[in-house]
Amino acid sequence: MKRSFVSLFTAFSFLVLSITGIIAFFRPFSIQIVGLHALVGFVFVILVALHVTNNSTPLWKYLRTKMPWLTAGITLALTALFLWQPTPIKKILGLSQNLGPALDRFELNDDGMKYQYSPSPSYKMKLEVRAGGAYDTENPPYMAIWLENASQYHIKTLQEPQDSTKGREALKYWDFKRRGWEKAKAKAAKSGKELADELGVDAVTQPTQLSSFDPEQYILPADPDNPMPYRLLIEIDDPKDDQPSLVYSVEIENWDPVTFQILDLLGYPQQEEDDEEGKEVWALYYVDGRFSSALDLIDSALLTIERNHETEDESIPTD
Amino acid sequence: MDKKDQMTDRREFLQNSILGTAGVGLAVASTASVAVAETQESSLAPEVTNEVDVLVVGGGTAGTIAAIQAGRAGARTLLVERNAQLGGTTTTGGVAFPGLFDAWGKQVIAGIGWELVKESVELDGGKLPNFAKVPSRHWMNQVHVNQFMYALLAEEKCQKAGVELAYYEFPQSVQKTDTGWQVDCVGFGTHRRVFCKQIIDCTGGAEVVGLLGYERLREDERQPGSYLFQLGSAHNPSSKQLHRLYVHGADSTNSRTTTLANLTGRKSILARVREKKQRLMHLQPETGFRESYRILGETLITVNDYTSGKLFDDAISYAFYPVDLHTKTGVRPKPLKPGTVPTIPLGALIPKGSRNIMVAGRCLSSDRLANSGLRVQAPCMGMGQAAGAAASLAAKQGITPKEVPLADIHALLEEHGQIVPKKA
Repeated sequence: MKRSFVSLFTAFSFLVLSITGIIAFFRPFSIQIVGLHALVGFVFVILVALHVTNNSTPLWKYLRTKMPWLTAGITLALTALFLWQPTPIKKILGLSQNLGPALDRFELNDDGMKYQYSPSPSYKMKLEVRAGGAYDTENPPYMAIWLENASQYHIKTLQEPQDSTKGREALKYWDFKRRGWEKAKAKAAKSGKELADELGVDAVTQPTQLSSFDPEQYILPADPDNPMPYRLLIEIDDPKDDQPSLVYSVEIENWDPVTFQILDLLGYPQQEEDDEEGKEVWALYYVDGRFSSALDLIDSALLTIERNHETEDESIPTD
Repeated sequence: MDKKDQMTDRREFLQNSILGTAGVGLAVASTASVAVAETQESSLAPEVTNEVDVLVVGGGTAGTIAAIQAGRAGARTLLVERNAQLGGTTTTGGVAFPGLFDAWGKQVIAGIGWELVKESVELDGGKLPNFAKVPSRHWMNQVHVNQFMYALLAEEKCQKAGVELAYYEFPQSVQKTDTGWQVDCVGFGTHRRVFCKQIIDCTGGAEVVGLLGYERLREDERQPGSYLFQLGSAHNPSSKQLHRLYVHGADSTNSRTTTLANLTGRKSILARVREKKQRLMHLQPETGFRESYRILGETLITVNDYTSGKLFDDAISYAFYPVDLHTKTGVRPKPLKPGTVPTIPLGALIPKGSRNIMVAGRCLSSDRLANSGLRVQAPCMGMGQAAGAAASLAAKQGITPKEVPLADIHALLEEHGQIVPKKA
């Protein structure tokens, strides 16, 4: 194939791959970006093959030098290093919102939505939201999934709407919780305080462990003998209907692990009068008679948590 | 001025200051006086006899409401209480946040208990929770009351209902008679003999039922009690929960075990005061007990009945609270499934095989796990009102509470504002 065509096509494809690769690494999973990267990647593979064919003569010459040993060696070393993933490499991977310690996947399909989250090989969380009769698969509703600790403070958003501005406008409860957390985190970082102290968690009437904001402490959990409960919430809203968003939740108790749990409808958010310190307050209210199609956005939401615990062999002592 | 003159001057100054202060004090005292009821000769005599329709033993959460209901229903009612005030765990124990009156966005327990709670809050300038709101945690819809206000209003309502109050007294013996019971109570300077048609045992541990020899249930290891106090900041009744510590092994069986629980709790609190070097701003007079004896009733409510929201045929009150068993390491409340609202049957208030005696409160007939949710204050108020209604109707009709038509009990309860569980 014409050399200039192949070379330029390879270069431009490489440009697309570079950009999409960087975006896919740093931003939350997006089927558009990852799909584009993968498909252009296939094209790139073909182009590289053609490029190699066009440049086979110099390539054979290079193979007769010492360079292949060096480059193959470096390739093998990097492969081994990236497979082994020692701490410094994990730290780099941790910068990714896709490839870090929490590997998560979000998928929209005709049946609804599926979200998977595997912070470690021994822990797999899967949330399957089955679409209800009012769910429009062409224009799906806005949805956010997040975790809260037992003090009902936001600790991690697992999935947020792609259109962040419109999403936050539609999902007011999640937005309120997330903003509170973001604000407190920023203040804590500035003041050098712990996030719990910044949020003013009362340690007199509550055990100190409830004030942790580290998701890892809850999900895995960090202390298996003293696991802390947390909850997973979904807020969903179809801006086309004239009804407020709805919030569903499930409590996860690692001390009493259950594989399958159905999320329950909690209620709808409503802004309250500001509290005594003038801070914004949002609360949930039980659904009332004005809800119709909004109740039919979700048929059901099933949370599956597979925990593979290693058990120690207990050998029966023998005389 | 020599030293002697200085001493004289100082002494005179002090004397004048003290006299001046006393004078002001007397002036203040004379403008704030209260008259004690005129002492009658009969109140000095140790032997007292009462003839009543309904005797309520125990003026705690359930007993107060039972007595008010019986009185309002027209029954001659005597309420005997071992402490100095009404309210039990709410006032003497200091667990002044009764609940839960609502379930899933609607009120499910109302009536006289709610009336008393509501008035306590309103008179104190407080705020009632909005039951339409989803509480962040189940206890957020418990209603903080001013315990002192609650005690005063409870007394007022009893007296307005025509209930005779007898503090500092407790039954020593109970015997059957042709018309009901003879109950001998003892208090300091008082031997009281009560002839009554119906007894409602609201002692918390079914003590009267125990005196009669009916079977009672009890765990080998009881849930801890809670001793409530306040360190550091001033106690603002009805605003925030007090500080509390668990009293493990707390046993309210008798005066000796109760004394031991209180001594243990207070010793720990004193140690904490010394450790934290903070002022002790408030201290409840007694440990709040969670469990002691439960009766074996005509019906035993199981945890399955409770968590499934079983609607009993003879249901007389709703209840709503997570399964809430406190252990040495704390409590992990197990919430009820959405839409579930448990009910309490009349049979759980009647000791098996008995006549003319009921219980109300945490000693109802239930297994331990069901009891952990049923023992809280709002259901106790519901039970108290139901027992008061059933007992007053039974006394009027000359029958035992079990024989009173359920429809009559329901009608009387509804007349007095209670929400009654009924089959559709």
